[in-house]
Amino acid sequence: MQRQNALSRQPGKYLSILQIQVLNRLAYPVDLALQSLTIVMFMWIFMQLWRTTYNASGQQAISGLTLNQTMWYLMIAEAIMLSMPRPSRTISTAVKDGSIAYFLNKPFDFMLYQLAALLGEYLIRILFNLLAGGIIVWLMVGPPPVLSALPLVLVSMVLGWLISFCLSALIGLSAFVVEEVSAFEWVYSKFLLLLGGVLIPLDFLPAWLQKISLALPFAYSIYGPARLFVTPSLERFAMLTLGQLAWLAGCGILLLVFYRRGLARLAINGG
Amino acid sequence: MKYLNRLDANLRFLGALWNANLLSAMEYRAAFLTQAIGMIINDAMYFIFWIFFFNKFKMINGWEMQDMILLFGLLAAGLGLARFLFGNTGNLADMITHGGLDYYLALPKPVLLHILASRSDFSALGDFLFGIFCFFFSGNLSLDAFGRYLVGLLFSALIFITFMVLVQSLAFYTGSAQMLSGQASSAIMTFATYPITLFDGTSKFILFTILPAAFIGSVPAEFVRTASWLSLLEMLGAAVLLTTLAGWAFQRGLKRYESGSAVQTQVL
Repeated sequence: MQRQNALSRQPGKYLSILQIQVLNRLAYPVDLALQSLTIVMFMWIFMQLWRTTYNASGQQAISGLTLNQTMWYLMIAEAIMLSMPRPSRTISTAVKDGSIAYFLNKPFDFMLYQLAALLGEYLIRILFNLLAGGIIVWLMVGPPPVLSALPLVLVSMVLGWLISFCLSALIGLSAFVVEEVSAFEWVYSKFLLLLGGVLIPLDFLPAWLQKISLALPFAYSIYGPARLFVTPSLERFAMLTLGQLAWLAGCGILLLVFYRRGLARLAINGG
Repeated sequence: MKYLNRLDANLRFLGALWNANLLSAMEYRAAFLTQAIGMIINDAMYFIFWIFFFNKFKMINGWEMQDMILLFGLLAAGLGLARFLFGNTGNLADMITHGGLDYYLALPKPVLLHILASRSDFSALGDFLFGIFCFFFSGNLSLDAFGRYLVGLLFSALIFITFMVLVQSLAFYTGSAQMLSGQASSAIMTFATYPITLFDGTSKFILFTILPAAFIGSVPAEFVRTASWLSLLEMLGAAVLLTTLAGWAFQRGLKRYESGSAVQTQVL
């Protein structure tokens, strides 16, 4: 057992899993291109909605955001949402059908394996989504306000992704307790859409809901990086990173505790 | 008389399938209820976006909050009904690709009807109930309006099912159409949830033809709101055309169907 734990901590093997996943995704470029059409469709609809809204309001900026900023914000938010990890599905299936047993006796950690594999998939999906979304938004409203903050935005996107991974994995682990987790997935996904700021920038929400949303992890996963992209500043980046690290620590510890407790109550029958 | 007898037999067959699906759901009551209630919460949370939107912006190209509530009432109930009663609507391409039609072809029942109705999506009942709930808050509270609402949601369900069958029948020719099916389903549902008045001429043309999202949302909503004969005729025309095309494409494609001779267990 100690040997297995030592083996499962070697970071090189998780990097290999990540690389394999990247290669897997790149093996089907047509699939990737077709998937990227989804963001094109969403951005086109958002453009119709927000152009009409800005025209109707007769204002250049709504809650401090111009149409250009709103569209670029929505593009980043949508790209993050469409590339979100969904470990809940694989984990809950593995728990329910008992296939988790096959993973547990392998020389790697089940949860780190999921993390590496999904991160590999994420890197490719986000790249294609940003590319396709960026092109269509550029054509519709012109270039983004600032491009120099992109490296900082990428850092915050990865931290936000890790928070989402922990939350979704926690939902998957709830299969140890309940039969069906899809209802939790739907509700979580709607929290991301609304309180994460995918459907509408949080700035447009009523002040009381803005305050609540900004304190929750969903905003740190999506709103934070997207808002940083359109109005970058070192202060905003620092505050965002601090918040992300705090949520990541909290969610990470919770995940570890639930995972260990789940394994302790795991019962596998038959062979 | 012969056609009436056949219709009667098919309706009784459908009734038996739905009854069996319901009994199967009752075997897993907790999962069934969790999914249905989860879907109601899911729909309600999505709708909150529009509540905040119209709270801030009041009216968009003539559309107000009440119009959105009615649109959601029709869409959620129509698509919920389609997925609850004909739960395999979204799985057809996958079944064609993986040789899943063998079982149905061996039985003396209408193949397409049998495939579509042999499964129920339990979560869709949540959609259906949420849709009905929305209708009662849409400001159209009269018996006439409720009658039109029922007609509208039936057309919405029929047009959605036939569009999905038409798109997925491509799997007979291309070998795999799962990706296209997913995109088509996502596109028609997404476009249908936005007011039609947002879109310009070219976009509207697409939403009334290639991607008939207008016929599952905005047109039925217009029919409920104004009792317009034109809207009814538009829905009827789209339903007849799509039903004919879907039936033709499926039957024609079926001649090209190749089985993988996979051993399968099938209950319904």
